[in-house]
Amino acid sequence: MRPEHWLFTISLRLRSLFRWAQADQDLDDELRDHLERRTEEYFAKGMTQQEARRRARLDLGGVEKVKEECRDARRVNWIQDLILDLRYGLRMLAKSRAFTVVAILTLALGIGANTAIFSCINAWIIKPLPYPRSDRLMVFATHDKKNGWTGEHVTSPADFFDFQRQNTSFEQIVAWAGAGLNLTGDGHPELVDGGRVTWNFFDALGAKPILGRTFIPDDDRSGAPHVCILGEGLWQGRYAGNPKIIGRNITVGGEAYTVIGVMPGTFQFPLMGIANLWTPLALTDKQRADRSGSWLPAFGRLKPGVTQEQAEAEAGVFFSGLEKQFSQTNANLTWLVNSMTWDIRRKEGGPELMIVFVIVGLILLIACANVANLMLARATSRTREFAVRGALGATEGRLAGQLLTESLLLFFLGGVAGTLFGFWLMRLIESWIPGRIRGYMINYGHVDLDFVTLAFTLGIALVCGLVFGLAPAFQNARLDVNQTLKEASGQASGGQRGARLRRIFVASEIALAVVVLISATLVVKSFIISIRTSPGYNPENVMTAQLVMPRTKYINDSQKRNFGEEVLARLRALPGVASAGAASNVPFGGFGQGVEVEAVRRPSQPGERTGAGFAAASPDYFSTMQIGLVKGRFFNSADSQGSSPVVIITQSFAREFWPNEDPIGRQIRFGEQHTVATIVGVVRDIMRDHLRERGGWLMFVPLAQFPSSTLAFVVRSSADPTMMATAIRDAIWSVDNDQPISSAPLETLIAVVDAGYRVMTKLMAFFGALAMFLGTIGIYGVMAHLVSQRIHEIGIRMALGASPVQVLRMVIGSGLKLAVVGVAVGIVVALAATRSLTTLLYQVAPNDPLTFTAVPILFVAVAVAACYLPACRAMGVDPIVALRYE
Amino acid sequence: MSKPSDLVQGTLDMLLLKILALEPMNGFAVSQRLKQVSGDVLQVSDGSLYPSLHKLEQEGWITAEWRTSEYGRRAKYYSLTRLGRRQLEKEADNWGRLSSAISRVIKLKEA
Repeated sequence: MRPEHWLFTISLRLRSLFRWAQADQDLDDELRDHLERRTEEYFAKGMTQQEARRRARLDLGGVEKVKEECRDARRVNWIQDLILDLRYGLRMLAKSRAFTVVAILTLALGIGANTAIFSCINAWIIKPLPYPRSDRLMVFATHDKKNGWTGEHVTSPADFFDFQRQNTSFEQIVAWAGAGLNLTGDGHPELVDGGRVTWNFFDALGAKPILGRTFIPDDDRSGAPHVCILGEGLWQGRYAGNPKIIGRNITVGGEAYTVIGVMPGTFQFPLMGIANLWTPLALTDKQRADRSGSWLPAFGRLKPGVTQEQAEAEAGVFFSGLEKQFSQTNANLTWLVNSMTWDIRRKEGGPELMIVFVIVGLILLIACANVANLMLARATSRTREFAVRGALGATEGRLAGQLLTESLLLFFLGGVAGTLFGFWLMRLIESWIPGRIRGYMINYGHVDLDFVTLAFTLGIALVCGLVFGLAPAFQNARLDVNQTLKEASGQASGGQRGARLRRIFVASEIALAVVVLISATLVVKSFIISIRTSPGYNPENVMTAQLVMPRTKYINDSQKRNFGEEVLARLRALPGVASAGAASNVPFGGFGQGVEVEAVRRPSQPGERTGAGFAAASPDYFSTMQIGLVKGRFFNSADSQGSSPVVIITQSFAREFWPNEDPIGRQIRFGEQHTVATIVGVVRDIMRDHLRERGGWLMFVPLAQFPSSTLAFVVRSSADPTMMATAIRDAIWSVDNDQPISSAPLETLIAVVDAGYRVMTKLMAFFGALAMFLGTIGIYGVMAHLVSQRIHEIGIRMALGASPVQVLRMVIGSGLKLAVVGVAVGIVVALAATRSLTTLLYQVAPNDPLTFTAVPILFVAVAVAACYLPACRAMGVDPIVALRYE
Repeated sequence: MSKPSDLVQGTLDMLLLKILALEPMNGFAVSQRLKQVSGDVLQVSDGSLYPSLHKLEQEGWITAEWRTSEYGRRAKYYSLTRLGRRQLEKEADNWGRLSSAISRVIKLKEA
């Protein structure tokens, strides 16, 4: 049809559709008018009134038939058919309530799991970062071209400021440093997560304050009047949302800061984590000129039209210049320029989330196979209904359309229920993410049922309804009417084709469930191994209390030393405390420090400088943490201020520097002061920043020799460490009642850092169980239906002398056959599929023999159990009753 | 179902268009006119007339409106649209070509 023709007629179609009652009325009138005239005509020719009317009707043929043909001419009949089908479908669903409820619940589980995971993917991976033109934002990394080392996000201040001045690629270049800031005055002292940032931080991100202003260049000079910006959370909490906060002085780190602005709660910067307080970076001239260490995190906003490659090329040229100019500090160093979006996404576990997405996809398939089976089973018990309708003139297409409509309706309702389940699951998943991690997640709290997610849900529901509705639709539509109607018993066997299809569905869903369950088991097993693996210390029953001493109050080393020793003495005196120690940082505490180290040798070997984790620790720290000593000794009270510096290093560190020698008594040089210290002990490797990644090189120095203004107290108690939190806090406040503290059990600190992995493990366990559940329901449903279809046959068998045990064996045997085939296919698929899980596995091979044996055995056992109920029913068949159906 | 064959159906459409091209009329009048002009040669039952009219209406070739007839009763009057006129020309053209081709074939002398 030509387009303009179509345009012209569409209004007619619409009219017939939406005003079909009117159109039908018109048709009635028109035909009645015709009949009247024709009757008059025949009457005028001399027939009786009655005869004339009869002839007129005969001429026209069946009035209803003509009407139907006229309606067909309107070509919108299929919509009216659809409405009829929908009504009929709803009636059928309402009639077989058990079927409907089971099918909708099954679909809700399958679809809801997809909705939940997709909403996470949508928020964390698909949606752009919440900054204007976020694709222009780039993060920097310092890269050592020679040894391949890359310091993510970090630059040295001098490199940073030089590049900021000279580059032509970026509109803005920003540096930031996350920091715990002590907030005192106005109530309890509080350690607030915050950041020190260059003045253009908010401008570059395009963030606007809800109150006051952001920083200006003048704020960012060393010695400028102190100003700060609050986060909405802190403002609402500590300052009760007082709008007069602007211009007020608050005490940050013991100094007065004027509040100049409040940022909205929705503003977040995942690279810094949760932040509720910002101050200008305000580096001193000396700090600005420092080129020796890369510690200053930085990002930039590209100028319009400049690409990432061009920017990186410019940085490359710039840094090769610096290499020549400052060969001492900048040899081999360059900057990498990466998209911020990519950088953040990478950390949000995109690949892992995709694995879960595949898993829930499989679960959806399992659920759909279940429902398709139910529909097939129901279709076979409706064969007579369809045969009758076929005999009355319904076409194959019309019958298939009816069944397809019912299937789509069912899947649509399943989609609606799935949305509810998905919403709940989504909130559950979000609640698994610990508070401290949320700040590092882009769009946290924005996981929602938005339009995209709803469209996705509805889309998969309808596509699945179409695909899985086709099988029952065509099976029934192609009935041999005569054959079916001849089967007098009314218990039509449904044909071998349907039964075979159902068996294929069940076997494949078992195979899928086996794949999911094996994957889940591998991940959960890895998790159990990883939490059972010693991190090099014993985190159980250890409470930590971390604090930062204000620079203004604790100026010299002896003040810091005295504070630490005083607190330790009081902690030891607390009832229930087994031992207490202190260190400049604890594993997973977030204060991780590092230094550059080299071995002191004559002659020194080139390229020996390396980075190592660093902590200053009190003698009791090692015994409190139960760190394993390999060689030498721990610190003691003799390692004091006056004595020569000593150091304890970890095993793998020692092995690297002195592979075949005894490290005790050797010396290393470290830090900015190039301090030389003698190794007195070697301890087991310690997991400080990551679980499942051993081999962090760590060195410890005595806290007495290297006093620190960041302190972490560790207290081992005989009971639940959380009971100690208040006592520990009071002990510290009895020394300094203005000192903010952040305290948590060591196990909690580890759990927070490990949160992503734990969430993954929970998800896999949850979905593994779900897959198993659905698979079990599937095999039960098919067996139950099979038995009810074969009641008659079983009755004959029993009448001919089959014993109940033989019947039991027959039913369970046929179920077992399905299960074994499904499980076997599942194992083969899983062997190939689990290789993609390697990133999630820890000390578990992707083809872990135990898992690959246990899961199939479990499945076969469950399948037998699922067959048992139907089998019992089969055994209980009374041959007389069964045969009476004849 | 007694659907006329494709040829007859197409021809019927053309005839109806032609009849309505002369003047707007209602279904009964169309039926009378058909009988009148074609005599008994074209047996168009009342039963197949109305579906054809409705089809033409849906195609947009004719349009219908309710009018009061000369005897004072409401009747549905069909009339030709611009699209319908174009369609009629096309079909009449086709018909002319087809019928002359057929008659040429029929008139071939046997050798």
